[in-house]
Amino acid sequence: MSGGDDAGPVLEVRDLQAHFRSHYFGVNREVRAVDGVTFAVNRNEIYGLAGESSSGKTTLVKTIAGLLKPPLEMVGGSARFSFLPGWDAIGRAPPDVVRAIRWRHLSYIMQGSMNVLNPLRRVRHSFRDFAWRHLGGSKAEFDARAEAHLERVKLDPSVLAAYPHELSGGMRQRVTIALATICKPDFIIADEPTTALDVVVQKDVLAMIRAIQCEMGSSVLFITHDMGVHAALTDRLGIMYAGRLVEDGETPEIFSRPLHPYTRHLIASLPRIGDTQQREGLEGTPPNLAAPPPGCRFHPRCPLAMPICATTVPAMIETLPGHRVACHAVNEGAAA
Amino acid sequence: MSALLELDRVSKSFSRGGLFSTRRVEAVKEVSFALAADKPEIFTVIGESGSGKSTLARMILGIHAPSSGLIRLGGRDVAAYERRAFMAEVQPIFQNPFEAFNPLKQLDRYLFMTAERFGGAAGKSAVEEPVDEALRQVGLSLPEIAGRFPHELSGGQLQRVAIARALVAKPRLIVADEPVSMVDASLRMSIVNLFGRLRDELGLSIVYITHDLATAYYISDRLIIMQKGVVVEQGPARAVLSAPTHPYSRQLRDAVLTPDSAGAFRATHPRKAVETSGDRS
Repeated sequence: MSGGDDAGPVLEVRDLQAHFRSHYFGVNREVRAVDGVTFAVNRNEIYGLAGESSSGKTTLVKTIAGLLKPPLEMVGGSARFSFLPGWDAIGRAPPDVVRAIRWRHLSYIMQGSMNVLNPLRRVRHSFRDFAWRHLGGSKAEFDARAEAHLERVKLDPSVLAAYPHELSGGMRQRVTIALATICKPDFIIADEPTTALDVVVQKDVLAMIRAIQCEMGSSVLFITHDMGVHAALTDRLGIMYAGRLVEDGETPEIFSRPLHPYTRHLIASLPRIGDTQQREGLEGTPPNLAAPPPGCRFHPRCPLAMPICATTVPAMIETLPGHRVACHAVNEGAAA
Repeated sequence: MSALLELDRVSKSFSRGGLFSTRRVEAVKEVSFALAADKPEIFTVIGESGSGKSTLARMILGIHAPSSGLIRLGGRDVAAYERRAFMAEVQPIFQNPFEAFNPLKQLDRYLFMTAERFGGAAGKSAVEEPVDEALRQVGLSLPEIAGRFPHELSGGQLQRVAIARALVAKPRLIVADEPVSMVDASLRMSIVNLFGRLRDELGLSIVYITHDLATAYYISDRLIIMQKGVVVEQGPARAVLSAPTHPYSRQLRDAVLTPDSAGAFRATHPRKAVETSGDRS
């Protein structure tokens, strides 16, 4: 991997596999939601993950964050954080180690801010619940710190006294950003943080995530299906399809030179204001992960499909410097 | 009357709060527009959450009665229609196809029911023909759909079935409330293109309600932009979106992130320059 500027990646994911397993009435079902994903997130960068619904984005970050609940199981591979040496994955570390790390080193910004904030508690109490034990100090000191931090996300300190329902959606999402960043964590996972917001508000919130990330020098794993958001915000971008990473590289590079046929389609199909060109949808449907097609999972819909695609899983190969792609057609062409 | 659909200063207000603290919330304020009967078009209503666009859709569908103003379909007040006769003219398509269909019910039953109710068809063979025809118009066919349950299809296929179901009634107007926002990106454009085909080939008029300016620009003929229940700008879609004049429309347009807005939030970033340009073989 290139693009790292110091001391190696903060997060290193190697051949991660996470499956949903269920056993009912003697029938074993296994849904391979994440199947062999390898990537790394460097210090001080925003790494984007793009993919359609049920491509495994959320399962991937849940596994990385160690939020494993049956039927979801981490089956193989590793997801190492630089601040958690000695453990393969957060999900395998003992609970007290995990508790010390959560929020101090690793925090989350979730899609539904209403699900993060307790509707029956004032925002002030949510801040205390989340962060007091990590920051320490007296109650007054902590509150002063929370107020100062809220100013950074351009919120009035009076929102500390408010209940979540009294705030607008954009304000609530800023509160969750403030919550996720008050401990200055090394790593922030943002799962569709702006999907529920209006476009005007979304722009402000994204600018804020970038500003705070720059200020703290932390790393962000940013998940959204919206390619426009990825183009505007992320430094590097990984494209997921049916539980696998099919391409990753520097974001501008992915947009200007997409290599995988799926990525190419994804970018080409986006309508733009000022451009009346006809855009086509992709034929076929995303695969069922309980019975995925053999070989490359994209091959039934792929315009470049070859016989080998139906039998062999393409390896993720660094085709251009810092730009990996898993596609037989592309990598064969590059080798030739 | 040459208007298919005509809205004349339509307003809708809801009362909110309890017995002693009732507040009126005006969701839609004096909206007027008309769709010509002889010129099928895709008419887009753009707005963010809380702009009143879904309330407007519900009033056009006759689900809510307007607080004031008149909605006329083919020159007749919508409220004066008998419900079934009205639904034969105007059909809805909803945002989330997974919620629109009962997960325990086979999809073809919806299509057959619609055919029996609006096509006047009775008996298995009589309903199969119009259903198959409608499914073929959306790129599916009855043998593909027969006996299938909603979970067996993708969001894009399911939304096609929803559109086919609307077509079975042979309506003149379709009201589609955010029809593509729950559909996967790779399938979204095929649904949007389908709307264009319905307009061009079947002569259907479509009221397309969305918050997505890019697809509105791509497919629609005329549009209105709503803010807090008020129409702030209207006109031909491409002219309005290319050069919006109202401050709110401009703000909306500028907030749209496209692949071309690469690095919009990257300016202050202290990261080392990355070698993405230059020599490649």
